[in-house]
Amino acid sequence: MADGSRILRYLDERFFVRDLKAKTKDGVLKELADYLSKDREVRDPRLLLEMLKKRESLGSTAIGSGVAIPHGRSLAIANIKVLFARHKKGIDFEAPDEEPVRLFFLIVAPPQDTNNEYLPLLGQIAELVKEPAIRDRLIEAQTYADLAQVLEGQGS
Amino acid sequence: MNGARILDRLQRLSHLQDLEMMIHEAEDAKAKKAEEEMGFHMRGLEKLRAARDKWRAQVDPRDLRLFDRIVKRHLRAIVPVEERICLGCYVTLPTSVSPPAGDQDRLLTCENCGRILYWLE
Ligand SMILES: [Zn+2]
Repeated sequence: MADGSRILRYLDERFFVRDLKAKTKDGVLKELADYLSKDREVRDPRLLLEMLKKRESLGSTAIGSGVAIPHGRSLAIANIKVLFARHKKGIDFEAPDEEPVRLFFLIVAPPQDTNNEYLPLLGQIAELVKEPAIRDRLIEAQTYADLAQVLEGQGS
Repeated sequence: MNGARILDRLQRLSHLQDLEMMIHEAEDAKAKKAEEEMGFHMRGLEKLRAARDKWRAQVDPRDLRLFDRIVKRHLRAIVPVEERICLGCYVTLPTSVSPPAGDQDRLLTCENCGRILYWLE
């Protein structure tokens, strides 16, 4: 099983979103950016949102099987952050398999990434969600504690 | 009013840098391959370049000239300030320097390395 415990270092309770309300792709990006902007380390929520939207024009960050990992670097953020969110019904995110997306991991990093953490972290999350059993448990996660348990690889 | 204007100008220029960084990474063969192996498709580079070119028109021409000049020397022309330290050259800013506000007309640059300072507060 992929080790998700490192991902937890960048997450906390504020960044567990049980149910996204948005009904469109842009709406979801805005909602994700708004939740993350509760953190003081987000210096400019609008700048962050504009970056996330532009990243989608490079190619959808949906990777199939109902998962999307919007990500990118921006001056708007001081340190790497991860946010997890679920969408009950699923949303059209222009996924390669056209499946509606129900699971979201948002990852943002500052432009200067001196420890080179960002790409490996992105890879870990992408690897983790490839496992159907993990995706099932993420869809079931009702609380931050549930999410933490999945990422720590316990209680399976 | 001018204070709001300078922050708006800084935000526009910062978005340009975010776009430049994104393009730079998508052009980097190693980084691109890494992302594609993770399952991300990156076919929209031309679209992104076009968006960047369009956005340049939204930036104050003076700021754009300054940005283009610095980019020739440093990949990141704009750098954040944390605890009065320029995160481009890691030199502490003199106490006489403060975040852009009020009737300031020019973007703040680091006296040591010349980069534009992304300094809110
Ligand atoms: Zn400097």
